[in-house]
Amino acid sequence: MSVAQTITEEQKGTQFGMINHFGRIASWHTIAPPVVFFAMLIIVSIFNPNYLGPLGISIATASAAPILLIALGQSMVLNVGSIDLSNAAISLFGAILLALSVPDFGWVSIIVVLALLTFLGAINGAILAYTQIPSFALTLGTLGILKTATLVISGSETIYVTNNRELITLLYLTKLGGISLTFWLGISVALILWAVLRLTMTGQDMTGIGKNEKGAILTGVPVKRVKIMAFALSGFAGGLAGFCIVAQAGSASASGLGSNLLLPGIAAALVGGTSISGGVTNPINVIFGALTVAFVPIAIQAIGFGAQAQSLVYGFFIILVVALSTIGSKTRIVK
Amino acid sequence: MTLARIRKWNGPTGILLALCALILLFSFINPRFASVENLQNVLFQISVPLIIVVGTTLVIQMGSIDLSVEGVMGAAGMAWILMSANTRTETDFGMWAWVIALGLGLGVGLIAGLIYSKLKVPSFVVSLGTWYVGLGIAVLLYGNSMLPTLTNDSLARWPTQLTLGLPHSFWLAGLVFIAGLIVSNHTHFGRGLMAIGNNEAIAIANGMPVDRYKIMAFSLAGLLAGLAGILATIQLGSGSPDIGSGQLFVVIPAAVIGGTSLSGGEGGVLRSALGVCLLIILNNGLVLSGVDPDYQSGVFGMILLIAVITVAWPHIDRLKVAK
Amino acid sequence: MTYQSTQFPVLKLTGITRSFGPVKALNNVSLSIQKGEVLGLIGENGAGKSTLLKILAGIEQPDSGTIEMNGAMTRFISPYDALRAGVGVVHQEQSLFTNLTVAENIAQQMVEKHGRARFGVQDWTHINQQAARVLQKIGVDLDPKAIVGDLSFVDRQMVEIARAVCVDPKQGGTPLIILDEPTAVLEQAETEVLEREIRKLREFSSVIFVSHRLDEVLRICDRVVVLRNGVLTSDRSTKGASKDDLFQAMVEDAPVKTTRVRRPKKSGEQPILSVKNMGKTGRFKNVSFDAYAGKITAIIGTNGSGRGALVRSLFGAEAFDSGTLEISGQSVTSWSISRAIRAGLAYVPAERKTEGMIGGYNGIRNIALSRSDQFKMGPLLNLRKMKQAAQHWFDRLGVSPNDIHKPLAAFSGGNQQKVVLAKWLNLPDLRILILDHPLRGLDVGVSHTVNAEIRRACDTGLSVIMIPDTIEEALELADEILVLRDGQLSARHDLSIGTGLSIQEIMAEMV
Repeated sequence: MSVAQTITEEQKGTQFGMINHFGRIASWHTIAPPVVFFAMLIIVSIFNPNYLGPLGISIATASAAPILLIALGQSMVLNVGSIDLSNAAISLFGAILLALSVPDFGWVSIIVVLALLTFLGAINGAILAYTQIPSFALTLGTLGILKTATLVISGSETIYVTNNRELITLLYLTKLGGISLTFWLGISVALILWAVLRLTMTGQDMTGIGKNEKGAILTGVPVKRVKIMAFALSGFAGGLAGFCIVAQAGSASASGLGSNLLLPGIAAALVGGTSISGGVTNPINVIFGALTVAFVPIAIQAIGFGAQAQSLVYGFFIILVVALSTIGSKTRIVK
Repeated sequence: MTLARIRKWNGPTGILLALCALILLFSFINPRFASVENLQNVLFQISVPLIIVVGTTLVIQMGSIDLSVEGVMGAAGMAWILMSANTRTETDFGMWAWVIALGLGLGVGLIAGLIYSKLKVPSFVVSLGTWYVGLGIAVLLYGNSMLPTLTNDSLARWPTQLTLGLPHSFWLAGLVFIAGLIVSNHTHFGRGLMAIGNNEAIAIANGMPVDRYKIMAFSLAGLLAGLAGILATIQLGSGSPDIGSGQLFVVIPAAVIGGTSLSGGEGGVLRSALGVCLLIILNNGLVLSGVDPDYQSGVFGMILLIAVITVAWPHIDRLKVAK
Repeated sequence: MTYQSTQFPVLKLTGITRSFGPVKALNNVSLSIQKGEVLGLIGENGAGKSTLLKILAGIEQPDSGTIEMNGAMTRFISPYDALRAGVGVVHQEQSLFTNLTVAENIAQQMVEKHGRARFGVQDWTHINQQAARVLQKIGVDLDPKAIVGDLSFVDRQMVEIARAVCVDPKQGGTPLIILDEPTAVLEQAETEVLEREIRKLREFSSVIFVSHRLDEVLRICDRVVVLRNGVLTSDRSTKGASKDDLFQAMVEDAPVKTTRVRRPKKSGEQPILSVKNMGKTGRFKNVSFDAYAGKITAIIGTNGSGRGALVRSLFGAEAFDSGTLEISGQSVTSWSISRAIRAGLAYVPAERKTEGMIGGYNGIRNIALSRSDQFKMGPLLNLRKMKQAAQHWFDRLGVSPNDIHKPLAAFSGGNQQKVVLAKWLNLPDLRILILDHPLRGLDVGVSHTVNAEIRRACDTGLSVIMIPDTIEEALELADEILVLRDGQLSARHDLSIGTGLSIQEIMAEMV
């Protein structure tokens, strides 16, 4: 016995005393992201319903698409308890690679680039799994390397997709129900990831690792392999996001569209109910998280604030949503 | 006793050696590197991240993280310049501009600390939020009007002016550094942060006012980020919400490379400061060696990876949880 | 310290009783300790020792009875009260900050003694001097500026003692230092350091020394009290006492009737698992034994005897440095958890919450985590089969509440353990089940169920290797008992031969 141990036992007891409310809290956690999003929509519609018209929705979803894909990749990594600071950089790198190679190689280059990016993600995962260094430092390092790589291969210029343009921009220009295919791609990926997490052994393993890695290790979960897969998925999703970026702009540049997606991606994942410590991820909610994050600038304009209030609202939302969802577990030690 | 020996090697001595090696190397490649002018320039460049890293170190020692520096820098910097003699507004609050701007930084940090300790929101999330909030405040203050430029010329020149051969901005950073060293090593608060990072449960059981310390650490980090924002604004000569852009990815790797582990309870202000020196000297040397500045982040990234892997290698274990 | 209080005992307990529900952890316990006396406190696991210590440390309150410290009637409502009254506890688990100096860790106690922390400047000279004074007082030669993380285990124990000694009871009373299993993780040479230390402590305080090691208790203590099932069964001087006297007071004299039917070993039967001269530096060495199908092997020893590391090495959770492991006659190479599971091994860890189960997952997921192929339907999970399996085990083991969708963290420890067991028992090719303290913290009813499952599993041909919580458990269940002491096998007992092995004999081999 030790005093420290006793106190934490008591704390745990209190926490589990709240387990009776567990059901209630769990469901709040599940519906919070869509509730937040629709609340925002309602407020916008009160102020200025025009913004909710087809054009507004089209714009919002188009800007949400790459954010959604990056957020989905991030949420898979967050699910196993790590973080990927490099996935936006992977995505931008991919966008430039695509812009460089598609004119000459068409379809093939798309497949190759996606595979390469998935591989880059897997390398992140492998370094994590085998050296056991913290993912924050790891992906910060790979982020730096990728930044340089991006600048070097693009020559710090904007790369225009000269040939085979339709191959890429088709995804953006084609609309289904007024919404660009890029966003539908994001939704499909979200649905697939949702299914992976709930209905496959690997998904079960991933969430298990996030909830209790030691317990997972001792049950024979192939933790290394699963973590590599989570990071590989993040790389793949980043690649798809890169595709969307080039599709939208018809070009790619290290400082152009899509060069600033890391924070919005993390914000979207968090607002989408993903737990930063792992084991709680719902890709469907991440859709709402991404929509919220993408819609904030529009909402702000609609309400009449200048576009400058955007960041402020982002910050507010992030803290609010996470604070609300951690209400049940007040007594743990949180870092 | 081998542990102590290893720690000494990993500690300040290791970095000092690396620093000396780098200085020698770069002086060899380009003699201009070792010129007084360039060294003064290096000290000038070190100033802003050095101020930031003192605050960041306090937070990291607890095992938390503060991502908000860039936003707080922007908010405090903008607030300061709009309240000082500048080309946009008529007002000049003089010293009060400093007080209010620093108060803003402190306030943002205070709120972050409160939300973190009382609402138990993870520090990553809170400081991400306050990053956005700080940036938001900065952008709102900037508004749509003209660029606010410092009209007070002597003030604008102050950071680069020399006293005893060292730029004023470095004197400021040096003062902050020494203060940080004192707080970190010679107050209950500072040592308490190390204890919390080592084992928060024991700290709580010992009756340490853990929540209070957490709030204080974040408040100080906010205050220092604000100060850095003001200094950066003076250095630039005009206000910009992006004044802090890129600092986070210099300061955090610097702290980590210096030995202030992100898991807390290790390292310290001295180590982090040496990390900053290392990275800035590295960057400066690379530029003078003719290396394309585009390669900067790549080199930083590689060094970070190597440093962290080297430290982690002996501890690889089957049952270890690596997050 | 004034002379006046030597007429009063340092500590006097009268009629202390504490119950947890229907269980009386302490039943009318009375004892007293004089100044300068070293009192040994012994008893089996679950006898009430830790409850008594918690009461003395102010963590728990007695239901009835009185506590007198240095002649004054007191109540300890919080740990601070105990500290202020002069009770310093050195806990079983070290509670030091490994990244701070010796002096700082010692100073921790003093800061909290005043009940408030100051923002003030840390006076290093003062702290170092204070620490040096205390260290000198207890006769320990340590640099106050040394970092605790660099110190050896025994040196850290010294720092813990120094910290405990800082208590300063009011009005010159004598402090009471409680040492809870201080030698559990120490090597032989280190224990001598501790013994010297305790003799020094006598000069200005009284000591309660809790230990499993009876020869130490007899050597170090002046008197010894024995707890058995919450009752004080002996309170005597150690002069002329023998280990047997202590044993008799600790446990019932007669050999425990072994209740499980044991079949004799079939001649020529191959062991399913064979360990030959296995060793892991610093934990255990030269361990050899065989485990057979349908037989239970119990490994007994005190904390620090190396049992945990041994069984984890069998499971591939830790690496062993020397020796060989054979599964069904085949020697294994580069052993890992996944290989062990594929070979038919399973492991139920002692730390249920952090290692055994995934609290955030429900029963279905926890049981399915063992990745049996039966749950797979191509690349997807066969959710129906998973639910069926979970429901089957919930019913069979009587998990309550019988809700396979509820997160496991919401269940009681016993029910959690049932699910953990189910996870492994569900595997069709399970051959060797390794159990680490399987009945720890479980109440009687659940213990029986788990117990019965273990036996049933065994009857179907499983081999069970277990680390029991108590010797009775081992005697009740095991076919073979291995006794580990300080990392080496000190004895081996084949219970299928049916002699009336007594607990006392085994305890002698443990210490």
